[in-house]
Amino acid sequence: MLERPSWLHPAFRLIEGGEGAGWSEFRWSDLAAMPQSPGGVVRADRASRVLAALAAAERAGVGLLLSRRDGAPRDWTAPPGFSVTLETSGTTGEPKRVRHDFNRLRGRLRGGPDEGARWLLAYEAGAFAGLQVILTAAFTGAALVSVPGGGVADLAQAARRHAVTHVSGTPSFWRAFLMALGSDALPLTSITLGGEAVDQPLLDRLAAQFPAARLRHIYASTEAGAVFAVADKRAGFPVDWIEQGVDGVALRLRDGVLELRSPRAMLDGGGVVGDGWLNTGDLVERRGDRMEFVGRLDGLVNVGGVKVSPEAVERRLLTAPGVADALVTAQANPITGFLLTALVVPVPNSDEAELRAAIRRATADLVPAARPRVITLTDRIPLGATGKKGRKAAS
Amino acid sequence: MTDTQPMLAVIAEELARIVADKGETLPPLTPNSVFLGGELPIDSLDLATLLVVLEQRTGQDPFRAGLRQFTTVGELAALYDLAA
Repeated sequence: MLERPSWLHPAFRLIEGGEGAGWSEFRWSDLAAMPQSPGGVVRADRASRVLAALAAAERAGVGLLLSRRDGAPRDWTAPPGFSVTLETSGTTGEPKRVRHDFNRLRGRLRGGPDEGARWLLAYEAGAFAGLQVILTAAFTGAALVSVPGGGVADLAQAARRHAVTHVSGTPSFWRAFLMALGSDALPLTSITLGGEAVDQPLLDRLAAQFPAARLRHIYASTEAGAVFAVADKRAGFPVDWIEQGVDGVALRLRDGVLELRSPRAMLDGGGVVGDGWLNTGDLVERRGDRMEFVGRLDGLVNVGGVKVSPEAVERRLLTAPGVADALVTAQANPITGFLLTALVVPVPNSDEAELRAAIRRATADLVPAARPRVITLTDRIPLGATGKKGRKAAS
Repeated sequence: MTDTQPMLAVIAEELARIVADKGETLPPLTPNSVFLGGELPIDSLDLATLLVVLEQRTGQDPFRAGLRQFTTVGELAALYDLAA
């Protein structure tokens, strides 16, 4: 049998939902026996495939691409030396590729052996946060429960069935997960939130329903890496951190935007403003003894953990036949944080059904979170005092 | 207690429209239907859409102050007051 990778604990096991209702259990010996696709690329739709491909790429000493779409990836040649390249879920067009040194990924893993832990994979296996969960479970010898392609109802069912103890997900995931669970108890000991700003009511509900669980929210980004974790069950972060820094990271405010200097930042990743400081693009405001996240400088909004650009979507609507003008705004809601909605001015004498079909076609290749979900037809779009369309997120 | 029947009808109508847009059919709703429990062909984006549409239609946003607990259709209907 092939030698077990050093990052995969001998006690690790993967419990993966299969086609239909069945479950398969994978130990290292099962993963080692899986057939390998050539070319340093794997369709990252199942944790088992990702783990087997990582081990194979490490053995061969080549780069691995975790592909998040079907079909052969464009312009991909496996780079020499073991590394992992992820595809970010871009709002529009081709996904961006970000290459990670595997040893740096490993260096981020925390925690000693924890063989009693049972993790639920609530992110896609090919997403950065999903890979973190997979590697953490593998590294600590935990069990990992995964439902490839499963929705939140499937995840809730799997969580109950396998009595998971550790779950990491976006605030939007947690809101939906709580609804799918209803009043059912889970033996959770660790709750992690990340990927979007967390609100106090959600933290309060999680604390009430899972009083025994450690509750943390993580602030991280592709460029800055993992910046800090907040564990006091309150939204935002302490004002003191601006002065004192946290976990090796220095923080400061410039015109309401959070800037940071971190040993974990990718300094070639963009956003560097000089002297090692990185502009996060995140707007923060002081409220009492807390700093709270209030939005993005670039106007991106977070729809269920996916950052989308209302302006880019609006430009897309303007290409649809029959659309004379359009305004895309983000509407606050308690499930996905925000949702894109559109006001559309039709050209004269257009047919509403045809217009709606044209809009659907014009947005069909966007990720679901970027499609405007409520489209209202109107005869004019109100302009703000500056003569610009009022795009401020509605709350 | 408020009569939630009219609100249940509004929720059924709007949710049917959202589901039809996806090319699927909504099974009959009852007050005990669980939104994200797997019995309805909807995901969290669909549910978010429903809440935004209900706000437009009723002029009410019961979630202004944050998340209020609801799991079933009946629990959501009770958060709105159509007589207001």
